[in-house]
Amino acid sequence: MISRRALELLTAILTGSFGVAVVVSSLDNGIGWSSEGVDPGTFPFLTGVIIVLGSLYNLVRGVLPPVTLASVPIAITRTELRRLAGLFVPAAIFVAAIPLAGMYLAAAGYVFAVLAVPRHQSLPRALTMAAATSLALYVVFERMFQVTLPHGALAAALGL
Amino acid sequence: MDNLQELLHGFTVAVTAPHLVLMVIGVLLGILVGVLPGLGAPNGVSLLLPLTFGMQPVSAIILLSSMYWGALFGGSVTSILFNIPGEPSSVATTFDGYPMARDGRPTTALATAFGSAAFGALVGVILITFLASWVAQVALAFGPPEYFAVYFLAFASFVGMGGAAPIKTVVALAIGFAIAAIGIDTVSGSVRLTMGIDELVKGVNFVVAVMGLFGIGELLVAVEEEFHARAVSSTIDWREVFRAVGRLPRHGVALLRSAAIGCWMGITPGGPTAASFMSYGIARRFSRRGRHFGTGEIEGIISPETADHAAGTSALLPMLSLGIPGSATAAVMMGGLMIWGLNPGPMLFVDNKDFVWGLIASMYVGNIVAVALVLLTVPVFAALMRIPFVVIAPLIVIICVVGAYSVSNSYLDVVLMLGFGVVGYLFKKLFYPLAPLVLAIVIGDKAEDAFRQSMLMSKGSLGIFFANGLVTSLVVAGIALLLLPLALQLVHLLRKPGSTTAETDKEKAII
Repeated sequence: MISRRALELLTAILTGSFGVAVVVSSLDNGIGWSSEGVDPGTFPFLTGVIIVLGSLYNLVRGVLPPVTLASVPIAITRTELRRLAGLFVPAAIFVAAIPLAGMYLAAAGYVFAVLAVPRHQSLPRALTMAAATSLALYVVFERMFQVTLPHGALAAALGL
Repeated sequence: MDNLQELLHGFTVAVTAPHLVLMVIGVLLGILVGVLPGLGAPNGVSLLLPLTFGMQPVSAIILLSSMYWGALFGGSVTSILFNIPGEPSSVATTFDGYPMARDGRPTTALATAFGSAAFGALVGVILITFLASWVAQVALAFGPPEYFAVYFLAFASFVGMGGAAPIKTVVALAIGFAIAAIGIDTVSGSVRLTMGIDELVKGVNFVVAVMGLFGIGELLVAVEEEFHARAVSSTIDWREVFRAVGRLPRHGVALLRSAAIGCWMGITPGGPTAASFMSYGIARRFSRRGRHFGTGEIEGIISPETADHAAGTSALLPMLSLGIPGSATAAVMMGGLMIWGLNPGPMLFVDNKDFVWGLIASMYVGNIVAVALVLLTVPVFAALMRIPFVVIAPLIVIICVVGAYSVSNSYLDVVLMLGFGVVGYLFKKLFYPLAPLVLAIVIGDKAEDAFRQSMLMSKGSLGIFFANGLVTSLVVAGIALLLLPLALQLVHLLRKPGSTTAETDKEKAII
């Protein structure tokens, strides 16, 4: 269970740290006016400052929830969190598997796992869909439009 | 009326059986690349280019431009059905198109989008036909200050300072600007905001950000709400396609206004993306049902689509008459022109009349062919909405991953895309507006460049934005649009104190 307040704080901290990173990084490029016009760091610096200030404001508002926010104290319930993880975790594993297994194998495995493991589809149907997905990707991207998708370290090791 | 005669001659060149077949092929291929995010009109055009070397130049350009029309139409399909805009210019279509499709009316949403897009394109072509020489002059009058003023106008019309949680809007906007600044700075050539990651030198592509923010973010919101099978009618309803198109004339004001905005932004090189955002923003402000925008309003689909296509069409004019490609696709097409032995530029209209007017005539016919084909495919695409969520969700993830990867063959982009997905979910959950963020990513960099170039020209004086009539009127219009909602709110506040809080709450619920 995650409260609305915690989520607001988390997001404000996230945006705030991005702002700080932008400010610090843009100082390297120089801010202000030089012989070459406005220095490249000036605009990022200003946006960074705005992000930091805005995030601080949102942070304070998040700590002291006004009346309207108090009416929805819980942002994500336990079941919702489980559903979110059910979608996001396999997707993240899929992305993590791409460098090793390549796009085609990873995509097929991902579709198969998502459909077959929670028993949404029967095993043969899940297998067919997984194979069809990879095949469609191959035909459309690699063959028709000549866009190469990553084949993965595994395929390279096998000499494909 | 010289032009009219030339045009009629052009029709005799363009409308032949082989050319019609080429149009159909081009449009169908275009729809395919448009629907698939990650592939776009540039991919399709460069793929077909080698095939055209043996053709007559007119036939070749007809094939390529038909492909371009198809891709423009196809780009709206995924925006409406899955909230994944395939191209920058169809982002604004998601704002009302997707809610309408989710509401169980995908057919209506798609047919409305295609119908108004066709209208926009038609107005754009008519403009090209009759104002070609005048338009070319306008485009030449544009220097950095004018560019900046146009972008400023687009921002001002879209980002109202009224509405709920203004500080969150500001933060979202600033983050967008910061993301746009990542990579090589085009004015000075120095590398900015890469935070030590070398691969970021190429910048964060818009497609990567949008696939995550909209595609993955929306999936996360949907799965959390337990995406129930919606009441999408199971029978394919052809009549609804025609009913939706038939309803368009009722929104005549919105159509005309959006077409005007689109043509204006297409000629002044603001481009289709700025045009669609601006048109949406202005429609939301001036439509009687403006406060319902974002929940699946018809005019919320009409406005961006009409402007997008009007701008996309009229943007082909600078390519022909001045030799300045307005987009990646136009650049590839221009390469084609040169290979076929034609020189784009002012002399093209004198030396190759057949070609130019054949092309313009083919724009009329090609758009009609495109809209007919695309309307026929509406029920097919709408049927996609009936695939169960458990099946479609992984497919959307794969499309987003492949799309993010194929933008520049970079694995980092895929990881970034997933990260943007989490950000999109958090922002949606906490009512940070996504639209200003995306708008800033798309045109923030260009606006900054234009501003800094103008500063270089004027040696730091802001006076350059009031130096001539054109730029002054653009800037003044922008400031007026920016201040208008504030002024209206003040008036409102003075009239009936106490009623505004209820309204902001309502807006909060809508966003």
